Amino acid sequence: MSLFVRINAISDSAKVRKAWFGLVCAIFICIIIVPSVFVVTKVFTDWGLISGVLGDSAEMAVIGRAVWNSFSIAFIVTILDVVAGLPIAWILVRKNFRGKRFLDTLLDMPLAFPTAVLGLSVVMFWGAPEGVTIPGLGICFSPYLMLVLLHIIFTYPYMVRSLSGILEQIEPNYETAAMTLGASRFTAVRTITLPLFRAGLVTGTTLCFARSLSETGGTYIALTLMGCESSFFTGPTYIMDNSGGALSGPMILISVIMILLALALLVLVKAVITHLHVSGNRVWPELGRKLSRGFAPKAKDALALFFMVLFVLVPSFYLFVYLSEPTAMDYGTLLGSIGTSFLVAGVAVLFDIVFGIPLAMYIARHRGERFAGILDNLVNIPLIIPTTALGLSLALFWGGTASTGAVAVVLVILGHISFTYPLVVRNITGAVEEVDPAYEETALTLGAKPLETFSKVLFPVIKSSVIAGAILAFTRSLGETGATVAISSSVNTVPVYIVNLVKEGAASYPAAAMCSIVLIAICFVLMFAVRAVMHRGSDRDA
Amino acid sequence: MPEIVLDGLVKKYSGGIRASDGLSLTVHDGEYLCLLGPTGAGKTTALRMICGLTKPDAGRVLFDGEDVTTKPTGARRATMLSQGYALFPNMDVYHNVVFAPTIRHWKEEDTKQLARSMIDMVHMGKKVRSYPHELSGGQQQRTALARALASDSKVLLLDEPLRALDARLRIELRKELKSMVKEMGLTSVHVTHDQEEAMELADRIAIIRSGKIIQVGTPQEIFQDPATPFVANFLGRSNIFAGKLVSTDGTASVIELANGIRVRARPCDLEPGDDAVIAVKVGFTVPELIGAAPDVQDAHLPDTLPEGYFHGKVERVLYEGSTITIETTVPGLGLVSSQRSSRRYEYYRPGSEVMITWQPEKASVFRLPAGGLVQEMRLD
Repeated sequence: MSLFVRINAISDSAKVRKAWFGLVCAIFICIIIVPSVFVVTKVFTDWGLISGVLGDSAEMAVIGRAVWNSFSIAFIVTILDVVAGLPIAWILVRKNFRGKRFLDTLLDMPLAFPTAVLGLSVVMFWGAPEGVTIPGLGICFSPYLMLVLLHIIFTYPYMVRSLSGILEQIEPNYETAAMTLGASRFTAVRTITLPLFRAGLVTGTTLCFARSLSETGGTYIALTLMGCESSFFTGPTYIMDNSGGALSGPMILISVIMILLALALLVLVKAVITHLHVSGNRVWPELGRKLSRGFAPKAKDALALFFMVLFVLVPSFYLFVYLSEPTAMDYGTLLGSIGTSFLVAGVAVLFDIVFGIPLAMYIARHRGERFAGILDNLVNIPLIIPTTALGLSLALFWGGTASTGAVAVVLVILGHISFTYPLVVRNITGAVEEVDPAYEETALTLGAKPLETFSKVLFPVIKSSVIAGAILAFTRSLGETGATVAISSSVNTVPVYIVNLVKEGAASYPAAAMCSIVLIAICFVLMFAVRAVMHRGSDRDA
Repeated sequence: MPEIVLDGLVKKYSGGIRASDGLSLTVHDGEYLCLLGPTGAGKTTALRMICGLTKPDAGRVLFDGEDVTTKPTGARRATMLSQGYALFPNMDVYHNVVFAPTIRHWKEEDTKQLARSMIDMVHMGKKVRSYPHELSGGQQQRTALARALASDSKVLLLDEPLRALDARLRIELRKELKSMVKEMGLTSVHVTHDQEEAMELADRIAIIRSGKIIQVGTPQEIFQDPATPFVANFLGRSNIFAGKLVSTDGTASVIELANGIRVRARPCDLEPGDDAVIAVKVGFTVPELIGAAPDVQDAHLPDTLPEGYFHGKVERVLYEGSTITIETTVPGLGLVSSQRSSRRYEYYRPGSEVMITWQPEKASVFRLPAGGLVQEMRLD
């Protein structure tokens, strides 16, 4: 008897299924949730360290400013994303034109770029309009503004994706009905469709905010290139700057502040957006009509496209100008770090899929039940916690920041599991919810056992979402700097290698850029390969 | 093929809804039973408990005397044919049909042969390689049926299997469905809210309401001798009147209605003076035209059809093809409906004066339900 047949046979027992689900929950709580927030307990156990910091008013001022920078940048960026992302999401879902697929793919590209690479690319573009000489010729932006420009790039795709996801589910019928009842298009959209957007806004805002709060590598590189990495801090770069040494009070304090503020904000955003009642009763028919016809809608679309190209796409790809000046580089170290990156990302994603699917299925199939609701909210926690704080927390939980060798790699993998797990679970949850439970139920009544029902019926249907989630998680892991550095200073993933090159000074910038280009190339080959495989699969299914 | 016994099943959902409330029912070996009831009566829950997709809070499910209440769904050999058919979207017609033989690891030749015969039986031979989304509603329905029949199940559970089809196709497929299921000799439970469908398909009908079985019997028994005023109106529309029993003997009962008029109905076991409800199917409620030519009148049946009970004025006449429905306003009682052959369409006009009458043995008498008549007649 093969293993599958055996497992299949015992999957018929409700006790076995309960035990398996119990194990999944235990892993979720013990390996993902608790280590993520473990640092908070240090407030109670190591109060001495913290009270020392609290007394140091100079240090406190730096911490306060760092936290303020992080949250205010995240806030500004999210608002800009909503304003500029909504028209693009609209165009992508509701309009048909040549090159729509191309635009669609372009939009995802910044997600595949490691943020460290983006940091380099963005500062080069905005810092020196005429090109390659860095740093700081040409227009001079303050570090704050530069970070806003940088953070827009990697949060923007999340916002557009969340909004267009919801928009796809809102039928144009509602608008059409409103328009046949006499509303102009502008009024129809404003009073009918936008209020239905709330779910998308919650997801988009959460993702963007969390992403901006967490980001370390790109931010640190940008600050380094501008020469102000030790005078201007965000929360994550502050932790990074202090990591590697002994456990220090400021690190713990800022981590705890960031975690608590982020969690409070998550709750607040959800509450405000879902309960906020925007009065749709007042209408301005004249204004609505004017805005619905002629120049205004076109201007809006053009502006949104312009924003996307100038602020998102061009700065991301600007890095490639380095290809015109090839440079010598240390391929051995680069390949080694690529290997480490892929090992970490691969193992983490595999773990996410194996232990994420059962949880996602439970959440999707028990909507409206209390326990499922609790799990659903818990899953979001690692997503909203700044990854640097999460990394520190993890390192503390599993025993010290000073580990080396294989142990350090395992710890880094555990860290990457924490922040990629929610991405996979959310994707799969959405997919499972779309599948009519009747498929699985019918398979059961036809004599299939639960495991066969999953492997032969449900999995083939949700496969593409599983792969999409896996790609998202993989690229996210590949691009992560903050968590890796916070957990161990000896694990050299590609982003860490790039950050270290940039730290070495201006002479190493071209090498850093080349590393980035190699990494991007590998990412794209990988993504296209996966897409091709998926496409073949979906051709057969279609 | 097993006999299915449901014994006192109880299933509560959150919010205090009782989808099954002491539900007991026996489905005979090889029988085609229709479970008929209004929306939300607990039909689907009953079906899901038979195949094990829903666990009852109390009560037992027995197949041929064996208690299967805790047996896993896959081992019960009770196949569900659901509303949307649930054809697996990632498999073509052939692989859908051989799903059960494949997971049971039957010999390949047997599987192939079985699949071929099933696919031929449902006339899907030309579509073997098509995927579900390429099939029409009727084809999907037939494929789902073939898949269910190829599963070696002994029990077939059909959850409104014709609901998603066009009206015409639905009527056509009804006959096919029953003949194929009968040929395989399966014990079948068919859930529906369509009384016409139930009447045509069922060996026996079970009327379910609020999680309880109210009446079980052949279509004819239930139509002619309903157990409650609700059943009388649900399976074929009825005119319902409330009144008090005046007398009853071996031939007929006399009931005095609210407006003082006395009407006659079937003998009953109520005591004179009891509150009573009588139900007359619209098809048996005859509006006799006053002053019409003798050949138009129904009075040529003087032995069976009594003199009119009440006088009324025709409100409207609805043309329904082979039948017409005449709605008559009766002072003190409201609207009374009657259904007649459409041959008589030209005789009735709004405003025509009529006398309403019926044969006493066609009128059922019930005790006034405890919850009141309005509560009893609710359809939801």
